[in-house]
Order: sequence, then C-alpha cells, then structure tokens
Amino acid sequence: MITAERKPLSEIHEMIAPYRKILVVGCGTCVAECAAGGEKEVGLLASALRMDAQRAGRDLDIKEVTLDRQCVYEFIDQLTEFIEQYDVVLSLGCGAGVQAVAEVFPKAIIVPALNTTFVGETKEVGLWVEKCRGCGDCKLGFFAAVCPITSCAKGLFNGPCGGSQDGQCEVDPDTPCAWQLIITRLEEVGGLDRLKKIHPPADWSKQQGRGPRKIMREDQKI
Amino acid sequence: MRGESRLKKVLQGGSFTVTAECGPPKGADPEAIRKKGGILKGFVDSVNVTDNQTGVVRLSSLAACAILLQDGLDPILQMVTRDRNRIALQSDILGASALGIRNILCLSGDHQSFGNQPQAKGVFDIDSMQLIQLVRQMRDDGMLLGGEKLTEPPHLFVGAVENPFADPLSYRVLRLEKKVTAGAEFIQTQCIYNLVRFKEWMEQVVDRGIHEKVSILGGITPLKSARMAAYMSDHVAGMNIPDEIINRMKSVPADEQREEGIQIAVETIQALKGIKGIHGIHIMAIEWEEVVPQLVEKAGLAPRPAV
Amino acid sequence: MDQKKAGLKITIFFCQQIDADQDVNRRPLEKELGPRIRFFPLPCSGRIEPLHLMRALESGADKVYVVTCPEGACRYREGNIRARKRLAYTQGLIEEIGLAKNRLELIHVPAGTTTIDKLVKELFAREAFAGPLPVDAPGQERQQKRL
Repeated sequence: MITAERKPLSEIHEMIAPYRKILVVGCGTCVAECAAGGEKEVGLLASALRMDAQRAGRDLDIKEVTLDRQCVYEFIDQLTEFIEQYDVVLSLGCGAGVQAVAEVFPKAIIVPALNTTFVGETKEVGLWVEKCRGCGDCKLGFFAAVCPITSCAKGLFNGPCGGSQDGQCEVDPDTPCAWQLIITRLEEVGGLDRLKKIHPPADWSKQQGRGPRKIMREDQKI
Repeated sequence: MRGESRLKKVLQGGSFTVTAECGPPKGADPEAIRKKGGILKGFVDSVNVTDNQTGVVRLSSLAACAILLQDGLDPILQMVTRDRNRIALQSDILGASALGIRNILCLSGDHQSFGNQPQAKGVFDIDSMQLIQLVRQMRDDGMLLGGEKLTEPPHLFVGAVENPFADPLSYRVLRLEKKVTAGAEFIQTQCIYNLVRFKEWMEQVVDRGIHEKVSILGGITPLKSARMAAYMSDHVAGMNIPDEIINRMKSVPADEQREEGIQIAVETIQALKGIKGIHGIHIMAIEWEEVVPQLVEKAGLAPRPAV
Repeated sequence: MDQKKAGLKITIFFCQQIDADQDVNRRPLEKELGPRIRFFPLPCSGRIEPLHLMRALESGADKVYVVTCPEGACRYREGNIRARKRLAYTQGLIEEIGLAKNRLELIHVPAGTTTIDKLVKELFAREAFAGPLPVDAPGQERQQKRL
C-alpha cells in the first residue's frame, strides 16, 4: 500500500491557523492500513486540534469524515453536501488523495496532514517497509522476487557491492543486503547460474516519464 | 595526444606491477595533486585518483588525472556511478581519453549518505558491471549505449575492484568472473590483512582460470596505528583485519606503530609475490602517500622497470 | 476527601481483573462524586485506544488513569503492554499541543489487592498532596499512602 506519516502538529497547526471551520477528511484504504489517516487517526487529530484550540481560547468547528478511498472521485463526491460550510479541508489522504479532492472541489482550500512516503508492505504489525519504486518495468522475475532498485541502496542490478557484511547493507546495518537475499534464494533453488548474465542498464524513462505518468485504458472507459 | 597505458605495458611485460592511490584535495589547488604525484613518481607504475571517495566532494578525478598526466605519470581514472548518469559518464570517458588518460577503474561508489552531501541524489543510473561493459563497448565497438557510432573510440585500459572479504563470501569469486566477462582487464582488490582468507580466495580464482584472463593487483594499506587498525576493523564494511595483526600493532609503543605498520605491509607484499595469480600490488596509503616510496623500496620493488 | 482539590475530575480506565466486585464497589463513589469521576471497566487494559484517552481529556478530565495488571500478570498476556505503548503514544500527541504528559498515567495494581473504590479514594488523595507519581517507573506497584 501507499504509506504515509502524520506531519508534526506544529506544521498542521500553522497550515490551519487562519481558519475556524475545518473539515477533516480521512481515507479508509492505504493510510488506514498504516495507521496514519484512517477513521481512528481522523478522530485523534480532530480531538487534539479541538483541545489545542480550546486552550488557546479559540473557537474551532471541526467535522470528521472518512472516505473509503480518497483518490476516487465517486467517493469524494460524498463531501459535496457540506464542504462549502468549511473554511479548509484538512486531508489525511496520501498525496494522490489530497490532490483528487482539490480537483473535485477547485474552489476549496485543501491542506495535507500527512507526509506520503512509499509503496510498501506490512512486514509485521506496526512495521511498514518500502518494497517498490514504481519503475514501470518490473524485473522481479530476474532477481528472485527481490527488487534491486528498492531494496539495494545503490540500485545495483549486478550486485552485491563490496560493503555487504553479515547479510546487512553497509549503508544501514539494520537493513538486509538485498543481494545477499537474492543470492541466498537462488542458491536454495540451484539457480545461481541466472546471475551469470550481466543485467543491462534500466530504461529509467519508464519511471521518470515526461512529467507525471499516465495509464489510459480505452476498454475501461464508459 | 596518443600515449599508451604504462600500466598495461608493465603488466604485459610480466613484471610484478605497482600502483598507488592518490586522494585529491578538498579544494581547487592543483599543487596538492602535483605534490603527491611528485612523491609517487618513479616508485609506482600508475596512480589511481579517487572519485569523490566516501561521497566527500573533492577535486575531480578527471581533472587530477589530467594534471598528473602533465607531470609524466600514468593516471588511472576512477569513475563511480553514484554521481553521474550515462550521458555524463560516456561524455567523461571520451573526455578522459581525449586528454590522454589511458586507464579507467569502474566502481559503483560509496553511498552518498556517508559523505558531506548526504542530501544529494544518488544517481546510480548504471552499476559498475554495466560501466565496465560500456567502456569496452565504446572502445572495442566504437559505440555508445544504444548503438550510435563514435567518431573516435576512447583508448582506455579497463579495470574494476573486488573485495574478497565482503559477504556473501561464497559469491565473491563468481562476481569476479562476471566482471571479467563484462570486460575488466585488471582488478584491484580491497586491502589485504588476512592472508589466509585471501589465499583461499585466490586458490578458487586460479582454479577457475580467472587469473589468466585478468591481471590481479592485491590491495595494501599500511597501518598507521593500533587505533587505525581497530577503527577500520570495526567501522569499515568489508574489512577483515585478523586479531593477530591488531594485537601486533597494540604490542608496540605508540611512536613505533608506524614502523610496525610498514613492516606488516612489507611482509604482506612479500607473501603476495608468492601467490599464484597475483600480478602486482595496489597501495592505498590514505593521506600517507609519503610512505609509498619506502614501502616500495623495502619490498624490493624499486626501481620500476623501463617500458 | 480533601476539599482543596474539590474541582479535580478524574477518568479511570481499569482492568476488571483488579476488583471482581467492581460493579458494586464503584456505585457509592459515583453517587458521591458525580461528574468528578468517570469509571470505564474493561475486560483487559489492552482494550484501551489512544482515541479513548483523547476523548476523556476532551470531555474535561483533568487526569486520566489507566489501571493495568502488573507486566507478566495480564491474563491475555500482552494487553497491559499494549496499554502502556498506547498511553505513551497519546502522551506524545498531547505534548505536541502543549499538555503535560502526566495528564495521562499508567498504574499497575495486582489483582485482588484492593477494591476500585479504595483505589480511587487514594488517587484523589494523592493528587491533593504530592502530585502524581512519574509514569515511567517500571513495574510500579500501587503505593500505600498513610493519610
């Protein structure tokens, strides 16, 4: 899922400082999974903002809403009924969610409560790890399902580098060396020969695009 | 300018070859390089210039090599893939050759988080293996990546590095083989203190006949102090310093430790001379280039052959 | 009951294992203290979520206690550890808005050593005299205070 973390309250506070009526909008998908922007987190943030305002003698009117997915217009439309009653929308969606809401309601002021980070997996409860950099040219089949771009700090396709130690990366000793993992997995299935081939340079244009990338599917259009 | 690689000539001539490393200054002063070059000249066959080693900004390897060339040395351009994309790399390869530089060492480079610019974007457009292959393609096929023809191919002797002491150990020989397949013509290894482990690695290398396809230079770094030994052992990834060596350094009073470090280095060099498949040494005397001449002399490797 | 802190409002989330008769024992206090005390019995302290603690503060509690069994004695194994972590998380959150983290406090009470009404009376009294105990004393046992 897409992972994110809540911005420090001081930053959020600054963004909403000029406003009195705040619509706090969460998302029930990715950011709920990583405990950053789901219904619970909306509740926590709203509660904190209310208490903060109360102590400062300010009068805040906060509404809490959580959409199933904040990146799909169909769900965002649910805000139409009441969005105009609020001065600002504090979105707990990922970057895509925040911008989608802004597109549906171009006159509204929308600010992000989260810092969107990476595409990752829930490795264990409370631990999310980056797994994919969206290179648009998945090579997992060549590397025993370990992404060399994401999991190797130097993005080597013909690793490991000379700093791999005890199965850990030289850059961060808490991070496993991706190439150690690839080699171990291949050794276990007798597939080390696959690494003899020199993997050629990537086509980074698939990741970088010419500005924001798009996917268009005519068969999906109504 | 159409010189030839002295490194290549000495290796092909069969002499036990000596290369050394030279660290450029953290400033724009060419004299710093000239001075180091002056110390090394005549005692080594070729000089590596590091490329923003450890991610610390220094005078560029390309410029430093050009300066050393002017002073009559045979420089080895170190090129890391951390800082430049394929456009810049290929461009610098052509530029190096045009300046008369005749040797290149291809590396991925230390991660940018280690240096003084940790906020920099690490490029890593291609890796060291792909770079080796690329230089060979430019030189031998006169072609850029993508196939376009060059008006004049670069003339470069291509090298790479290997660390026999890094994990996964079992894979290190296969990786060396892969670099040779990619086109590496000479190899400089990480500095050697653990001769037992190194001999094991070389036995496997010779077993696979790799020593006949590539020239291997064993890395040597003289220890300055017991503290340096302990530090390197604990903090430098891929470094293997046996306890006997650390203890040996510790057993000597502080003002004699440099001598001891030099002695250990000389002994290591003598040992390397006797290992099958070793074609020479690569001395990495970090910020201690002054020690190279006496090291070379004590190891009986001076004077260098005329080619 | 000390009259100096007559206005002090306490919310107490507590593990039901601590007092088997808590349902009966808390009624007289509820009557006596009215809105100054709110009891939340839980099947396990691990049921507590940061949101509950925030809402308790928002509703006007001056002090929120979470009473758990001592570590190692939770009948659901890690419930009290979760309670501790979630309380710590909420403390971080309230500190970001300038509230003292000791507005929230975790207390360990071995099951069967006291009753809920006795505990609450002590807590009110303690607040009146010496102020709250530091929350991060590990394996903290309820302290008997001579009043």
